[in-house]
Amino acid sequence: MKAKSVLLWLAVGVPLLWGVVKTLQNAMKLF
Amino acid sequence: MAGSFLSRESTIAPPGFSRAMVPPAALAVHLSIGQVYAFSTFNLPLTHLIGLTHSAPGDWDIKEVVVTFSIAIAILGLAAALFGPWVERVGPRKSMFVAALCFGGGFIVSAVGVHYHSLFLIYLGYGVLGGCGLGIGYISPVSTLIKWFPDRPGVATGLAIMGFGGGALIAAPLSVLLMAHFRTPTSNGVLETFVTMGVIYFMFMMIGVYSARVPAEGWKPAGWTPPATPPPLVTQAHVAVDVAWRTPQFWLLWVVLCMNVTAGIGVLGQASPMIQEIFAGRVNAATAAGFVGLLSFFNMIGRFFWASTSDYIGRRNTYTVFFALGILLYFSVPSLGRAGSLPLFVAAFVVILSMYGGGFATVPAYLRDIFGTMHVGAIHGRLLTAWAVAGVLGPTLITSIRAYELKSGVPKAQTYSVTMYLMCAFLLIGLICNFCMRPVDEKHHHRAAAPQRSP
Repeated sequence: MKAKSVLLWLAVGVPLLWGVVKTLQNAMKLF
Repeated sequence: MAGSFLSRESTIAPPGFSRAMVPPAALAVHLSIGQVYAFSTFNLPLTHLIGLTHSAPGDWDIKEVVVTFSIAIAILGLAAALFGPWVERVGPRKSMFVAALCFGGGFIVSAVGVHYHSLFLIYLGYGVLGGCGLGIGYISPVSTLIKWFPDRPGVATGLAIMGFGGGALIAAPLSVLLMAHFRTPTSNGVLETFVTMGVIYFMFMMIGVYSARVPAEGWKPAGWTPPATPPPLVTQAHVAVDVAWRTPQFWLLWVVLCMNVTAGIGVLGQASPMIQEIFAGRVNAATAAGFVGLLSFFNMIGRFFWASTSDYIGRRNTYTVFFALGILLYFSVPSLGRAGSLPLFVAAFVVILSMYGGGFATVPAYLRDIFGTMHVGAIHGRLLTAWAVAGVLGPTLITSIRAYELKSGVPKAQTYSVTMYLMCAFLLIGLICNFCMRPVDEKHHHRAAAPQRSP
């Protein structure tokens, strides 16, 4: 159950993290 | 077989099930449908389908293309209101599956629309079908999360609805990457990108379909008991959806949400030209895109931060902060612009956008406090009509006022001042309605011994 839970969190967390990094990289141009 | 897998009964969690698996299921759906906030990445490419690199005769006008987004948001509100009771009845798995079919299918129909160069099919596909997926998908996990996390409803719904804000952060770079990948001398890659995204989002939403579970009747978190004396404005009774929308509390909350969303959405749609015109010479289109990205990031973070905070300070106090601080910030924005203070200007807007997102994420828990958990998903669905109205009201007002001022000879950089003061007025209306919120009269409480499912 725990491994399944970790996998699920990774499945949603990794794409979100990718999006956040891309967005913040772009936002840095502002300053 | 499929019917049984999708039924509510088959989603009842077995003993020992960890509730930590429920938020990722909700996030999988919300991260997908949150793509709608990044639909603008397709606006320009959709106007270049014939000319490929420029607009050619026969290509659609940008004004025609942007209507797709408005249709999708309006249908989102309508679908959430219409299908709310159905979502409550069939449970999260079947509703997430239907949402995935509609949202993924919407992309596929739109791809057909691109192939035949039919704007009607784009409206029908992404706007209507996709909009139904948005509405059903948005409310599908809310009631389930509130039932799994009675001790922290704000944290739970904030986490899921944060996904809706985060969806744009993924979709914007993903759309650009896919269009660049599929670009050929005869296609600008939009058709192939629509098909790919339709498949990707359908599969991703299946994570939610597969892992969604509802708690067994009477389940409570280990070691948690409902407080003997609940805080003011938190009921332990239940109000049925058909009764709830006839109470003044529902309409007060409707106005609260509508005003909060109108104020935020109006800015979000104008953010790029606004910062370029107010800070002309210092901010160009590329850096303005960074500003829009930053707003989207804080829109996402605010959803989790403010909804979680509301578990500690209460929902009404949280909205009081949104409106009071919002008025202060909107009022100061024209001065910050005139003073040429870019960092302070950006700081004011990121806080404003965090509260815009926070308003969405805190409202399910506010509804639960006022109306109980029995039909909270369906009531939330009806409340989202406020979003549909705000989605039209906010951008229309800002655009019309700005056009009028430009016509009257007001310099471009100053045209936003009146808009900001108008937003203060909207927020003041929201503040008053929030202040008037009282518990629902006992005569509206549901009388049955056990909570019943929605009709």
